[in-house]
Amino acid sequence: MVRETRLIVISPLSEITPDQITRKVHSLGYEVTVKETCYGAVLEGPPETVSKVMDELRALDPLGIYSKIRGFPLGDPKRCRAQHGSRPGFSQLQTEWQSLSLVEKGLECAMRGEKAETKDVPDRIPVKDLQRFCEEVE
Amino acid sequence: MKIFIDPPNSLILFDLVERFGHEPLSVMATIQERVDNLEIDMPPMNVTLDDVKKGLDYAGIEVPSGIRGRLAVWGPLIDNAEAAIIMEDAPYSFGCVGCHRTNLLVDFLVRKRKLPTIEIDYPRTEEDARNMVIRVKEFLEGLE
Repeated sequence: MVRETRLIVISPLSEITPDQITRKVHSLGYEVTVKETCYGAVLEGPPETVSKVMDELRALDPLGIYSKIRGFPLGDPKRCRAQHGSRPGFSQLQTEWQSLSLVEKGLECAMRGEKAETKDVPDRIPVKDLQRFCEEVE
Repeated sequence: MKIFIDPPNSLILFDLVERFGHEPLSVMATIQERVDNLEIDMPPMNVTLDDVKKGLDYAGIEVPSGIRGRLAVWGPLIDNAEAAIIMEDAPYSFGCVGCHRTNLLVDFLVRKRKLPTIEIDYPRTEEDARNMVIRVKEFLEGLE
């Protein structure tokens, strides 16, 4: 069976809790598996169903709920910390979770239709000028 | 459109690309294929014997094996991409969980393919994040 596993991460600014996410998934009644975690939840099921569930979850807080797919299935012994899996990395997710509050603010501005500020970046030195400088030094 | 994201496991970029209606090409999907096909049932290995050979398509034999291994997984994503978003200076793409030489080679491979590309900095302030998200949105909406 084709499966899709998704990490659902709640922004630090959001008022949604991981418990609300899992309760919402259970209340939808789809055939998916959901596991509550400290950062949000892990969702697993057929890709079409997971996509429908994600649409429902995003509606809870459109700018506060983020997700990405995960290569390893739920509770995979190769990955799961409870079973001393060999790939227990969390540092990246932690770093990105901390930055989500900034991204959320950015999304608010983008949704309001604001434009990006352009910075004046100095042009690169033309090769001919660089050659001339080198020759002058010699 | 298929968008290559760098770092290829970034939550922020994956979510933004999906949010603005495109398909992110991520390393997680590639790893999933290997996990589901039981090709890497040998922890802590993330690559197969075929990947070792595939890595040579993207980096020379003298390049360290860690870089070749990474490129064996990331390289085909770049080949399939129709556009790319490169995030510079992500804190987790350097040090014990990343590889700067691989990042440089990935940048090179993306530029070599002449894909529509946007280069952004990892957001560290609200102002950075605002500019980053707006630039990504404008880039993705402008793709045809």
